[in-house]
Amino acid sequence: MTVTDQGLLEREKDSMTLNMGPQHPSTHGVFRVVLEMDGELVDSAEPHIGFLHTGIEKTSEAKRYVHVIPMTDRLDYLSPPGNNLAFCLTVEKLLQTDVPERAKFLRVIMCELARMASHLVWLATHALDIGAMTVFLYCWREREMILDLNEEISGVRMMTSYIRLGGVVKDSTPGWLQSVRNFVEYFPAKIDEYERLLTHNPIWLDRTQNIGVMSREEAINWSMSGPVLRASGVNWDLRKQRPYSGYENFEFEVPTGKNGDIYDRYLVRVAELRQSREIVRQALKNLPAGPYKVDDNKISLPNRKTLKSSMEALIHHFKLVSEGVSVPKGETYVPIEGPRGEVGFYIVSDGSNVPSRVKLRAPSFMAIPGMCKMMEGCFIADVVGIIGSIDIVMGEVDR
Amino acid sequence: MTSEEIVEKIKTDQGKAINSSEVNLGDSVIFVGAERIHDIAEYLKNDPDLDFDYLSNITGTDYLNEEREPRFEVVYELHSIEKNHSIRIRVGLDEEDPTIPTVSDLWKGALYPERELFDMFGFNIKGHSNLSRLIMPEEWEGNPLRKDYPLTIEDVTFSHNREFKQDLVKSKPRTR
Repeated sequence: MTVTDQGLLEREKDSMTLNMGPQHPSTHGVFRVVLEMDGELVDSAEPHIGFLHTGIEKTSEAKRYVHVIPMTDRLDYLSPPGNNLAFCLTVEKLLQTDVPERAKFLRVIMCELARMASHLVWLATHALDIGAMTVFLYCWREREMILDLNEEISGVRMMTSYIRLGGVVKDSTPGWLQSVRNFVEYFPAKIDEYERLLTHNPIWLDRTQNIGVMSREEAINWSMSGPVLRASGVNWDLRKQRPYSGYENFEFEVPTGKNGDIYDRYLVRVAELRQSREIVRQALKNLPAGPYKVDDNKISLPNRKTLKSSMEALIHHFKLVSEGVSVPKGETYVPIEGPRGEVGFYIVSDGSNVPSRVKLRAPSFMAIPGMCKMMEGCFIADVVGIIGSIDIVMGEVDR
Repeated sequence: MTSEEIVEKIKTDQGKAINSSEVNLGDSVIFVGAERIHDIAEYLKNDPDLDFDYLSNITGTDYLNEEREPRFEVVYELHSIEKNHSIRIRVGLDEEDPTIPTVSDLWKGALYPERELFDMFGFNIKGHSNLSRLIMPEEWEGNPLRKDYPLTIEDVTFSHNREFKQDLVKSKPRTR
């Protein structure tokens, strides 16, 4: 405060720099943002990333294609099958091979289960950030069931690496399919339960409506993707626009929002939980019989039984394990719709068994500048709400 | 529009500005020189039939091991939300002067991937509003995604090994 000529007290613009993260629990990982504050209002927000940089893109250039798949699990660690699928589809496009129908359906089931698990983690932590503790516990309960299903089919709870080049790693069992069926029947009542806690809750509405608004044009221009883009009213879902892995066989809706605020992103993701459940239900109903991986021994391992009788199979097995898949020279990019938006790998092959360049297009990475733009002009209390509503995963931001 | 139609249209409209074009595994691809990329990007964004309003991705690649000229390449992936089609733009960059104009004035989403190119490949993005290290620390030396950057030697900054490490980086053979 200064005293002016007229003897009046005048307030100088007094800004304060506030550091948030990287160890802040509401930044969902190791994300640091430096906020320039004017009282309670955020003037500008400057993001700092790289704390979780593991050099996966560089490491991939020294590993065989098959060995890259387990590393893709660690990128977006909340939905590993989506990353596996994006990687495998890109390599399969370079190999110009098509996987059997049953493998496509199993891939879809795994990806949609992962989408549900990922959205449950988002809802749990987002609600916890804003102060709804109960939702956190409820969501964790259902996510645990999905992780159990992962464990049953792949042996691992989170980093499944279930989707491999040319198909999936092993066939589903009738018992597992029944477990998924039970979960699909059980789940909708639980989504109603979350919605009863939040959708009409006045505190929730106060904290989410008309906050972090992003218009349709802005969302497109800032390269937002997935639920954030759809909440701004853009009907863009790669499962519909560029059907991959047999998504054209499923009937589902693409939920979109109107206002592009935190509340709409919440509504879009909750609606997506129901749509994913519907896709899994249809996949279980129409799951075709047949092989679960391609019959090309240059791409996928020959069956165990044939190893004892066929010399050729034994040679293929040896070559594939010791040398790996050689991918024709070329480069390509296949985008898929992950839980956070467009996930895609740009892969350059020099014709050998090791990729020359592997680049992940990570939806969280692309969303960070737009997210910080949303923070400008909002209250400091809403910053955690905005970060939560974008649903960033630092594993794929820093790579 | 199908990939073939997109390539045909760009060839008729901007035939002189682009170096070449192709349909690769079903995707439309155009090859552009670094000095023309901004004009081409502006045309792709503003042309009503093409309407590429969404920047999906910017990637850098290093073709050191393939002995290709030019050594570097910047790859843009664009979508059109309205028209539901895509294009890939590939821009070759010289080893001596890897400079490319920014497209962040057209698509704000380019800000981060372009900074990543500066950080990881050492490309000079002309006109970028904040060209600084993004993923690596500020004081980091070298550009990790270049092929002549070693995979295993981590340049941990200690006073006693600084010179030794730098010698090691210089003398190291090409990867693979």
